[in-house]
Amino acid sequence: MPSKEDLKRRAAEIIDSKADELTAIAKTILQNPEPGFRELKTAKLVAEQFAALGMQPRSGLAVTGVRADASGTSAGPTLAILGELDSLIVSDHPHADPDTNAAHACGHHCQIAMMLGAATALTNSGVLDFLAGRIAFMAVPAEEYIEIEFRDGLRRDGKIEFLGGKPEMVRLGEFDDVHLAMMLHTTSNPAEKSMCISNTNNGTLAKRIQFIGRAAHAGGAPHLGINALNAAMMAMTAINFNRETFRDEDSIRVHPIITKGGEAVSAVPADVRMETFVRGRTLEAIMDANAKVDRALRAGAMAVGAEVKIQTIPGYMPLQQNKGMAEIFRANASELVGEENVGYVDHRGDSTDMGDISHLMPVIHPYVGGATGLGHGATYVIEDYGLAVIKGAKALAYTAIDLLADDASQGNSIAGGQRADMTISEYLKFMRDLASEETYKS
Amino acid sequence: MTTPSLSIEELKKRACETIEKRKKEIVGLAQQVLANPEAGFRETKTAKLVSDKFHELGIQHESGLAITGLKGRIKGGAGSGPSVAVIGELDSLVVTEHPHADPETGAAHACGHHCQIGMMLGATIGLLTPEVVSQLSGEIVPFAVPAEEFIEVEQRLEMRDQGKLEFMGGKQELIRLGEFDDVDIAIMCHTASDMGERKFAMGGTSNGHVVKFVKYTGVGAHAGSMPHRGVNALNAASFAIQAINALRETHKADDTVRIHGIMTRGGEAVSAVPSDVRLEWRVRSSTPKVVVENSEAVDRCFRAGALAVGAKVNITTIPGYLPMRHDTKLQDIFRRTAVDLVGEPATLVMPTRRNRGGSTDMGDLSHLMPACHPYAAGAVGPGHSKEYLITDYESAVIMPAKIMAMVVIDLLADGAKRAKEVKANHRPLMSKQAYVKFQRERAEITEFDGAA
Repeated sequence: MPSKEDLKRRAAEIIDSKADELTAIAKTILQNPEPGFRELKTAKLVAEQFAALGMQPRSGLAVTGVRADASGTSAGPTLAILGELDSLIVSDHPHADPDTNAAHACGHHCQIAMMLGAATALTNSGVLDFLAGRIAFMAVPAEEYIEIEFRDGLRRDGKIEFLGGKPEMVRLGEFDDVHLAMMLHTTSNPAEKSMCISNTNNGTLAKRIQFIGRAAHAGGAPHLGINALNAAMMAMTAINFNRETFRDEDSIRVHPIITKGGEAVSAVPADVRMETFVRGRTLEAIMDANAKVDRALRAGAMAVGAEVKIQTIPGYMPLQQNKGMAEIFRANASELVGEENVGYVDHRGDSTDMGDISHLMPVIHPYVGGATGLGHGATYVIEDYGLAVIKGAKALAYTAIDLLADDASQGNSIAGGQRADMTISEYLKFMRDLASEETYKS
Repeated sequence: MTTPSLSIEELKKRACETIEKRKKEIVGLAQQVLANPEAGFRETKTAKLVSDKFHELGIQHESGLAITGLKGRIKGGAGSGPSVAVIGELDSLVVTEHPHADPETGAAHACGHHCQIGMMLGATIGLLTPEVVSQLSGEIVPFAVPAEEFIEVEQRLEMRDQGKLEFMGGKQELIRLGEFDDVDIAIMCHTASDMGERKFAMGGTSNGHVVKFVKYTGVGAHAGSMPHRGVNALNAASFAIQAINALRETHKADDTVRIHGIMTRGGEAVSAVPSDVRLEWRVRSSTPKVVVENSEAVDRCFRAGALAVGAKVNITTIPGYLPMRHDTKLQDIFRRTAVDLVGEPATLVMPTRRNRGGSTDMGDLSHLMPACHPYAAGAVGPGHSKEYLITDYESAVIMPAKIMAMVVIDLLADGAKRAKEVKANHRPLMSKQAYVKFQRERAEITEFDGAA
């Protein structure tokens, strides 16, 4: 019976032997960036790789998701290892698609490669013969919460219900048989070192807002107009007037953009549109800030006598990571990059739909370095694929071995030791209740 | 003994001679008022000064009208006829930095009302010339009226709650109390600092307005340790002010809209989230209709402020003044008199539509009876500012005293023929009852809870 160390050594050998191939996969995806729910080429590549490993992938989950399972030799928990398929849209990114402006400015291409690396190491190596339970390799769509109008169109067409890939996969039952989930995200933040454990992330709601005024000649008859742009400006001012009531520990982030600010400079703007997120560390804090934002939006409309339509769209839940899994990952990271190169951050202000999964089961969402530049910006590029893909794949494989070897004793204890915040049906109800549309006439 | 009948020209000459002779005394009265500035409904020293002078001049009068007003009665010797009020406004502004400000109260005559008391008494002195008064018919009513400046809204609201007054302008209150019921024609003269080479100006109009007292109630909290527990009433008010500014593009130039205000309370301690913030606001415009429209829009902005942060707002709307409507016949008498005294080039007649932007409760009176509210030179500096000073008392007091005395002679001499013509020609825009009803309908208190 090989020890966990033996199994990890075996996994590392396989990954090292496939290092060039895995890096090439990451770079192929980098060259073919596709934003969420449009990841057709990327999904096809993943399905082919899964098939090549002898698994039976299921494709087209939540539009573009792909899942392939590999079972151990005895009963045990199912561990999902996730990789995110989607890119961002950053037109001035050096690797942007010239037609769509899509670009991997958040390193998701490395996630797919490291997930495939872990799959190779665990399934094509004999390692699986010494693991209990099952591993579900999942390429998930649409983690980046962008192109809200496009996704809302998919929603209205009945192609999706939720606008993020993981919530949609949950809705479709793809997490019904999963007990533990993990993924590994790249980072460019030097404070997060070579690998990094974190604790929590903000959750978020998304809002689409339309201020409706009355158009009029801005020179000849401004007194007949109702200025929807002024309503939007006032609404943003009102939001700012509420900021002092946001608690530091709640990490509230409200950051609107105006997607339509008027049609012609010579007319009083009558149709002004805005999108915003309302992020926070806890659901309670998000809902409190959201009520203040709604009130501020109504105040903007009231200020000038306009009308406002507010659509609230469920976003992502706050992420809370399982400490036991994080500790296992930390130990493996220390072995791979040295203890002094493993960082820790308690809370991050950004959001991920891994947060949603974290309300249903134990998860981890640690970070691996290798990137430089600012996340979501034109400068975010992967410089060290050896770290971001190869060591990342090893960290995932090692952690899977720790969880599922020894008859999955650690995996079972973690899966049994954390009480889920919500059942899947409670989660779906919560998300559906969150969705709302309101028209306020002043 | 019968006095030989003098011509109107001769009567005017005599009255002016008396004023000229007692010039020092008359300017002295104005300067005494300047030295004792008192804001509206508090003009006790000024009222005493007028009362003493009335006594000295042997004028029968009533005091304490609308708290501090004084109304004299001088019967002409030539029989009955219309009653002409010569009005002077008792009150000062509050401009703490004004060189003549009362160091304790900040009150200061930054609008020249002290000259009005001087010229009202001066005109009366001229008209009391025995051979003049004996040949006038009807009645001269020298009238010192309180509180033309619509300020200290919160204090006046308190007086209203105590039942001391209902309307917050002196003439409004005097109308309500019936003190103008027995007056047929009303004249006064205001100093101005924007006259250029002119000595005397008339015509044009002024804005109507409503006044607001706005109280935001938030929730106080330690601003450092617990700002999330507070509701910031200052932010609510700041939002409302920005919202009002966002409306300005919708104001038509013709409407001469003026919306402006002050914050009378902006928080108690910098370390606490402000929970009690108060504003005094004013909505002015050329016509009562536009005033009402803008009053509603401004109320919406105040409510939006409360909604923005989840505060409560209480808006008290107080009836303000009506636009000035000069009686054209009366104005013509003023014009001819001014031309006689200062010459054509120094006399300005503004077009009827020319709106100076400010407001006066003489506008209210002008809706009920023939009235005129011309301007006299002699001041410098922007009105209502610390720089508004009278530099030429001859122009600011003596000349208008003479003009008003001459206008009264024109009206009441010759059996009050002209006064009767002015009266007959005038169509009042409102009856007193209609006026009081209109103003009472403006009064309103609304509450809005932005957190509800």
